[in-house]
Amino acid sequence: MRYLVLAILILSTALYAGVTLHVLMEDVPETHIIKELLPDFEKKTGIKVEFEIVQYCDMHAKLVPQLMSPNCQYDLLEVDNYWAGEFPAAGWLEPLEKYVERDKFDISVYLPSMLKMVGYYNGRLYMIPMYNYAMGLIYRTDLMNDPDLRAKWKELYGYDMRIPTSVEEYVKLAEFMQKYASEKYGQKIYGSAMQAQRGDPIVMEWSNYLFSLGGDYYDEKWRARVNDEAGVKSAELYIRALKNAAPPGALSFNLDDAFRVMSQGKAFSMITYNWMLAQLNDPSKSKVAGKVGLAPMPGGIGLNGGWGWAIPKNSQHKEEAWEFIKWVESFEIAKKRALMGGAPTRFDIFTDEDVVKKYPWYPKVMWLVMYAKPVPEFQYSTQMIEVVGRELSLAATGKKSVKKALDDAAKELNKLAKMAGLQK
Amino acid sequence: MSLRRRERLTGWVFALPSLITLGAVIAVPLGFSLSVSFFAYTFINPSFSVFLGFENYMNAFSDPYFWNSLWVTLKFVVLVVSIEFTLGFIVALMLNRDIRFKGVYYTILTMPMVMSPVAVGLIWKMLLHPDLGVLNYFLGLIGIEPINWLGDPTMAFWSVLMVDVWQQISFMILLLLAGLVSLPKEPFEAATIDGASEFQKLFYITIPLMKPVILAAVVIRTIFAFRTYDLIYVLTRGGPGVSTDVLSYFIYRKTFMGLNLAEAAATSYVLLGVVLLLVVFMFKIITSERKVVG
Repeated sequence: MRYLVLAILILSTALYAGVTLHVLMEDVPETHIIKELLPDFEKKTGIKVEFEIVQYCDMHAKLVPQLMSPNCQYDLLEVDNYWAGEFPAAGWLEPLEKYVERDKFDISVYLPSMLKMVGYYNGRLYMIPMYNYAMGLIYRTDLMNDPDLRAKWKELYGYDMRIPTSVEEYVKLAEFMQKYASEKYGQKIYGSAMQAQRGDPIVMEWSNYLFSLGGDYYDEKWRARVNDEAGVKSAELYIRALKNAAPPGALSFNLDDAFRVMSQGKAFSMITYNWMLAQLNDPSKSKVAGKVGLAPMPGGIGLNGGWGWAIPKNSQHKEEAWEFIKWVESFEIAKKRALMGGAPTRFDIFTDEDVVKKYPWYPKVMWLVMYAKPVPEFQYSTQMIEVVGRELSLAATGKKSVKKALDDAAKELNKLAKMAGLQK
Repeated sequence: MSLRRRERLTGWVFALPSLITLGAVIAVPLGFSLSVSFFAYTFINPSFSVFLGFENYMNAFSDPYFWNSLWVTLKFVVLVVSIEFTLGFIVALMLNRDIRFKGVYYTILTMPMVMSPVAVGLIWKMLLHPDLGVLNYFLGLIGIEPINWLGDPTMAFWSVLMVDVWQQISFMILLLLAGLVSLPKEPFEAATIDGASEFQKLFYITIPLMKPVILAAVVIRTIFAFRTYDLIYVLTRGGPGVSTDVLSYFIYRKTFMGLNLAEAAATSYVLLGVVLLLVVFMFKIITSERKVVG
């Protein structure tokens, strides 16, 4: 038996030897964690892996021409949930069922919300969930427990200060903190370090407000509903927070700019990716390390986000790519990634004893991911985000009324759904 | 074969490799995008099966955001080029005399030019950060209220303009300086003997003689300014609202986010037309003035 295993090992090494997998990766912690583990894969299989690490904004434009060409330069893909509708719809991804069945790869360990988002498209499996970036509320525990501020809150509102349970309460708390925490500490402390730059930053943040108030982009028949009551209310609250509880330049902030404000101790809270908690608790990166906590998005439903592994249909090395996915998503490696600060997608990792010992809040993150909801996935997701981002930004600058901006967005969203053949 | 014909043939043989290369990298893509602009060609369905005629162009023209972007672009280009030209000319004149440390000035001047616009954008984004940026800090020291550089729709346009001028002005200076250095000395000597003032020399000798260089500098800068995209992308993404949404970024989004290559190609051709018109107009102005002076 031993010899057989050895023989297979040698054979597979010989088969795959000399193959190099090229992968385009985003410059985020998860990528660097996996990169550190790569020697293990190379030793086991003899397949070399080369990461081309770039910023998120460059990825889509680099991938699309490659995916359209007869020979894709990338043998393996990481697919953002924004593209999880577009890539399969365009026929660029290899369906993975046959690999999963052949190798008895267990996909039941993944959180359903992750599999739904970056696994299946139209009932077929195209991706294997890689990591999550569901959003939640990160807040300053020291300000939340400050007795003076708590007393002031009670005096004003007649009940104890608590982690907000609705979007309204969150905006109210952010306004309160900006006023009274700034007063008390003699320096500006903004209520919410918001990221309202036009494009995906503003849309990602606002989606949390929208979903938590019961709104959505489309109804079940793919008719746009951003301009319904929940949509208007969420945009109004969002703009109110921007006006009364956010740094003055928030309209041009992306994640990095907002992070800088928060990590310098100049803000009370931030609606952001759950793994930002680890960044903000890192003393080498943040002045508020040890003073921040994580809670679900007030109102309950945050924006879900995540990446999945996929194999391009025009890949030159499909088998090797699948070998890599099997390795990187194995329990052993997935656990190592989580312990190194990765953002898991599997039940068994979230609840693993060692993982929980190191990151006690991970079970909480698991619930956050399970309830979070992604933006609609279809061919024109990126375009939809672009449209909504533009209209929200126009409303926030006061160039359009909230209702008019959302009506205009809805009009274009309906057009996109029709173009994609989803709305009859 | 006559000598003339043979000479001509040799000429063609020498020119052929570059003609083929140019044809392959310029003419073919241009032709391809022109044909794409008449079809329903998208990344989702990349085929020439549905002919649309001018519909893509009509769609672009009926989009109010297209007109906004065109307006923002024209405003940006005209302002950027005129500011850079005026300041650049003044600096070039100042450098074109016997001063010490010329080499140092040249080095400092070329530095922004060799930096990538994305890096410049990221650096400026930090400098302009309303709370943590250096600029507002220094303004605060002299008692000026913090300025919301990129978060205010009106201010954002001027901030982007400022960063662009900061980076691109060296190009103008160097080009104009090269022109100034190569001017003949005799007319200036003659003018000095005739008792002309510095201003008279500037307006009656320097500027007329510099016309070809000025034309080249302004035209090249104009064409480049129309293509500004990286700075906008890094600094504002066209926002807040649509206040800095230049046409090149508009086209980029149509291509890579809207996946609508056909409409993007049509819009690009409209932009090309606008640039062409502007350049022809500039040539007209500058060459006609030359006749009057000369």
